Amino acid sequence: MKNVIEVKNLIKEYKEIKAVDNLSFEVHEGEILGLLGPNGSGKTTTINCLLSLLNYSSGSIKIFGKEMKPDSYDIKSKIGVVFQDVAVFEELTVYDNIDYFCGLYIKDKKLRKQYIEDAIELVGLEEFKKFYPKQLSGGLLRRLNIACGIAHKPKLIFLDEPTVAVDPQSRNNILDGIKKLRDNGATIIYTTHYMEEVEIICDRIIILDKGKILATGTSDELKELAKIEEKITVEINELQENYIEDIKKSKNVDEVKYTNSLLLVTYTKGKNNLVELMEYLKENKIKYNKIYSERPTLNDVFLELTGKELRD
Amino acid sequence: MTVFKTFLKILNKNKFIIILYTMFLIFFGGFNMQTSENNTNFVASKPDIMIVNYDEEKGITKDLIKYIEENSNVVDLKKNEDAINDALFYRDVNYVVYIPKNYNKDFMDGKNPEIEIKSTGDYQSSFAEMLLSRYIKVANIYQKSINSEEELISKINETLSKKSEVEITSKLDTNILSKATFYYNFANYSIMACLIYVICLILASFKDIKIQKRTIISSTNYKTLNRQLLLSNSLFSIILWMIYVTLSFILVGDIMFSIHGIFYLINSFVFTICATTIALFIGNIISNKNAISGIVNVIALGSSFLCGAFVPMEWLPEGVIKIAHILPSYYYISNNEILKTLEIINFNTIKPILLNIIIILSFSIIFIILTNIVSKRKQKIG
Repeated sequence: MKNVIEVKNLIKEYKEIKAVDNLSFEVHEGEILGLLGPNGSGKTTTINCLLSLLNYSSGSIKIFGKEMKPDSYDIKSKIGVVFQDVAVFEELTVYDNIDYFCGLYIKDKKLRKQYIEDAIELVGLEEFKKFYPKQLSGGLLRRLNIACGIAHKPKLIFLDEPTVAVDPQSRNNILDGIKKLRDNGATIIYTTHYMEEVEIICDRIIILDKGKILATGTSDELKELAKIEEKITVEINELQENYIEDIKKSKNVDEVKYTNSLLLVTYTKGKNNLVELMEYLKENKIKYNKIYSERPTLNDVFLELTGKELRD
Repeated sequence: MTVFKTFLKILNKNKFIIILYTMFLIFFGGFNMQTSENNTNFVASKPDIMIVNYDEEKGITKDLIKYIEENSNVVDLKKNEDAINDALFYRDVNYVVYIPKNYNKDFMDGKNPEIEIKSTGDYQSSFAEMLLSRYIKVANIYQKSINSEEELISKINETLSKKSEVEITSKLDTNILSKATFYYNFANYSIMACLIYVICLILASFKDIKIQKRTIISSTNYKTLNRQLLLSNSLFSIILWMIYVTLSFILVGDIMFSIHGIFYLINSFVFTICATTIALFIGNIISNKNAISGIVNVIALGSSFLCGAFVPMEWLPEGVIKIAHILPSYYYISNNEILKTLEIINFNTIKPILLNIIIILSFSIIFIILTNIVSKRKQKIG
């Protein structure tokens, strides 16, 4: 598979702090790569280095096979960026905003007009073309932000936390739009600290913390890194300590926690863990309200790797 | 073109500010011009004089009274001292002449009798005093050599009736020049305030760190975009200057077609360049749109007050004038004031104007250098 981005031993230091610590990774053509990590893990700094917005201390960055520099305008013409903060002109309408940013790449008026219409359709802002940013809700504003970044139909798109502070409806709309962009042939780098989003849309994921890559792979591959395979949660009003001890001794059990009327049992492996637990509860006449089983999440993987949660 | 188009769209959103400052110029500049018209018109007037005569009305006494009557408004009041004092207090009369008893006889005898007066002390009374002393001086001179009363009176009248022809050779219309100066002095505020307000607002939008980031990562060279932005701002400044100049042609058109007018144009154009560089400098420093209004008030209004744009420079305290020397507005307004009184225009007379223009241009260069330094520092996002 062709690499669109190749990063080798990238280091970015701020005085004595390493914001990016020896990162090496590739981004394949046509994939959505998720950069997952908590706030301050180095996601945005990495993107700023890739875009030559920041000088990096050492390492190399190649985009479309060429070294990326501040004056690499041929590379920049194929890149679209949607930053975390909404970057639009307050004085311009939705249409004019997209027109301005698209105009920085596309000089041909007719083509630009077509591209603007496509972008508006992609993010679902057809009814708001003549609205000013102040008249838009937070979700619509985010959509406009995305349209401004991708209107020129770039081959490589950087999306830096585009769904922060967005309502669920707009979030789904944005995620659908991102999938459409990928389907249209774009390569996407998607940074977020929302693991659910990464699981939904990313083909491959890089987990970052303190500027270092902790793990790389598909969602399933990463989940395999977790030592647990199944989590069972049971709602029980009262549970005596001896039962908890019994469950701990059961087959494949890794850990048992009972807090706030919730019993959480994690298993390292096994196929019939749920059935066996239900039988045990029945045998001991322990009444329960709800019982459900889950596979480990990326948060569990992150917890496993760092000892802290993604949203810490 | 992308930048220019966007510049125009943002400018269009802020057109109210341009209209507002232009209206200020028309209304307040126009008001000042009206005031200037009142100040420079002259109306012929005569002092109000009361004559209290204790002598017989004959000979020199009669002639003096006749002379006063011809050259003033003689007021007839009760010959009561209280009434006279009241009339002087309320300015019903400016000057009271007391001709003593036997004045005619004593004068002809060469005794040089004294005439008592009462005066309000104002300029009208000075004029009355001038009339009286003129008559007495002429009469005294002739009295020494002429004994005949009739001949003396005839000689006095002959001398006093002589008039000198005065021809004003200056074609300088000071009234219209004052108007033009008032207009262009007030334009100091309008040009500065409008340019700073609009340019800062537009730059605050373009130089917003988020938009700047998006612009830097685009395939258009950032320097080219900056150049386009600078060109757009310069074009706006020139158009604004042209609007204000056109207004001056409407309001004081007579002078604008003269050599004085050309200097008003050059001076205001150079000042517009300087105001643009100041606006660009401030626009590069500040990013908060809410602060712009305050900055405009401090800089445009402050320098206009300090440098005499609203009140004549000669009314300002010396300390204020000294401080004003550090502001480009001072040199711009000084040039307007020089032009108001400039009779002959040649290299020697326009030297101070040229010097002031060089100083204004030097200010512009300083602000360009400062803007470049600030801009380069800000360009480094990381």
